[in-house]
Amino acid sequence: MVAIIGTGIIPFGRHLERSIVSMAMEATRAALDDAEISKDVIGACYFANALGGMLFGDTTIGQNLTAALGMKKIPVVNVENACTSGSTAYYLARNAILAGECEVALVVGSEKMCVPDFGLINSGATELDTLLGMVTPAGFALRAQRHMHDYGTTPEQMAMVAAKSRAHAVLNPIAQFRKIETVEQILAGPMIADPFTRSQCCPIADGAAALILASDAFAEKYARAITIKSAVLTSGFYDNPTDLVHWQSDYYAVGLAYEKAGIGADDIDVVECHDAFTLSEILHYEALGLCEEGQGGDFVAGGHASLGGSTPVNVSGGLLSRGHPISATGIAQIVELVTQLRHEAGQRQVEGCQTALAHCMGGDKMGDTKSCTVTVLSK
Amino acid sequence: MSHSNDIPLVFEGILTSGPKAHFLGSHCPSCDVYQFPAQEICPECLGETQEADMGRRATIHSVTTIRTRAPLGLPSPYSVAYVDMEEVPYRMFALLDPKEAGNYHIGQEVELSVGPLGVNNDNQPCRRPYFSPRS
Repeated sequence: MVAIIGTGIIPFGRHLERSIVSMAMEATRAALDDAEISKDVIGACYFANALGGMLFGDTTIGQNLTAALGMKKIPVVNVENACTSGSTAYYLARNAILAGECEVALVVGSEKMCVPDFGLINSGATELDTLLGMVTPAGFALRAQRHMHDYGTTPEQMAMVAAKSRAHAVLNPIAQFRKIETVEQILAGPMIADPFTRSQCCPIADGAAALILASDAFAEKYARAITIKSAVLTSGFYDNPTDLVHWQSDYYAVGLAYEKAGIGADDIDVVECHDAFTLSEILHYEALGLCEEGQGGDFVAGGHASLGGSTPVNVSGGLLSRGHPISATGIAQIVELVTQLRHEAGQRQVEGCQTALAHCMGGDKMGDTKSCTVTVLSK
Repeated sequence: MSHSNDIPLVFEGILTSGPKAHFLGSHCPSCDVYQFPAQEICPECLGETQEADMGRRATIHSVTTIRTRAPLGLPSPYSVAYVDMEEVPYRMFALLDPKEAGNYHIGQEVELSVGPLGVNNDNQPCRRPYFSPRS
């Protein structure tokens, strides 16, 4: 087994004056301080960044971070895997420790997106779908329209996901949007892609997050260590016709993570999932087995996903309110769950939580995902 | 628009030539798998594929309209869909005729049109395939 012994994160939002490396340095120093270890203990670094090459022409940024922090000679791996870049770096770091290649590894995701004319994210500029107008909100809006058609899910239910997200984010100091929004206000906002109004689409952000992973033997002396029960990385099925409602790649990744952890949906006390859009979260409730397929709208409307509900989801505010600096997101989810499992989450603490699950998805291809990561954590 | 055929297509090799274009894809005769755009190799058996006529008529499986700033010089708003092709078992992501943006529904029958629409990655005007309501 592998454990998480340190976390660090910076507030997500607009950091116009900061570089990818300076944000990563701050998150890393916070994680080292949290783990109470010296930088010299780090045996490997897995660094995630998705857009630096495209936006700034910067590549192999991980070594810029480790050089700046005096972490010399260690293996440094630069990871790009769309929205799962950070959680893929985490997956690789855990594997390296499991393989005995190192005892302690640093995982960092840092993203800078708040630049002029950023526009909408796509999944590859030369892909036919992109050239025919596929932008990320459209892919999920098409799923939403079909979910509404097949199961009667309503715009109000979708807006409730965003309203819940804002209510949670009020309690999270590092979240980007920390003001209550009502269902009526959310539905009255400008339409982005039918049926998503603006507050139902996650915002771009600058931000960084870091984790220190360690072998069980190393972590033994840490009272606040959190155990990784399972961590999976999968890609899509790419079958045709694709089912927009029963997202088989989502169900598959979740099932694999449950199986490897030896648990089921009933054992999960708190979830961070990839709520890029409101309907995404509804689909993930269903794939996670928190409710039956098609019942995700009722699940959120019944308050089950809220703090105090049966399985609180995205208590951090999620992507919708924390913001979505692509490669930092997957790590930020785990930072939140470690904080929850340590019972250090203050006003947003999920009482008595023992087992937590983080879920992230990235990219779009042939009506499917390019990657999905799921990890199960426990005290 | 008499010279519109001089404008490059947004993506080569996806349409038959001639006035009533069909989509062109590929088909594996062993596995009965269709691919669009065409691929040389079947992902199931890794055997060589054959060119396949994907037809020009379809039914809308799901549809949305993008009302924020449009990419690639597309009009705003513009509608996109997953459509089920009538002649072959294939669900395709597609642009819809921008003249009717916002007026499409699931189950609607549509047919292929090709015309100048937006720009390509070189920022040059180009032709794109899109589905229009059936006349």
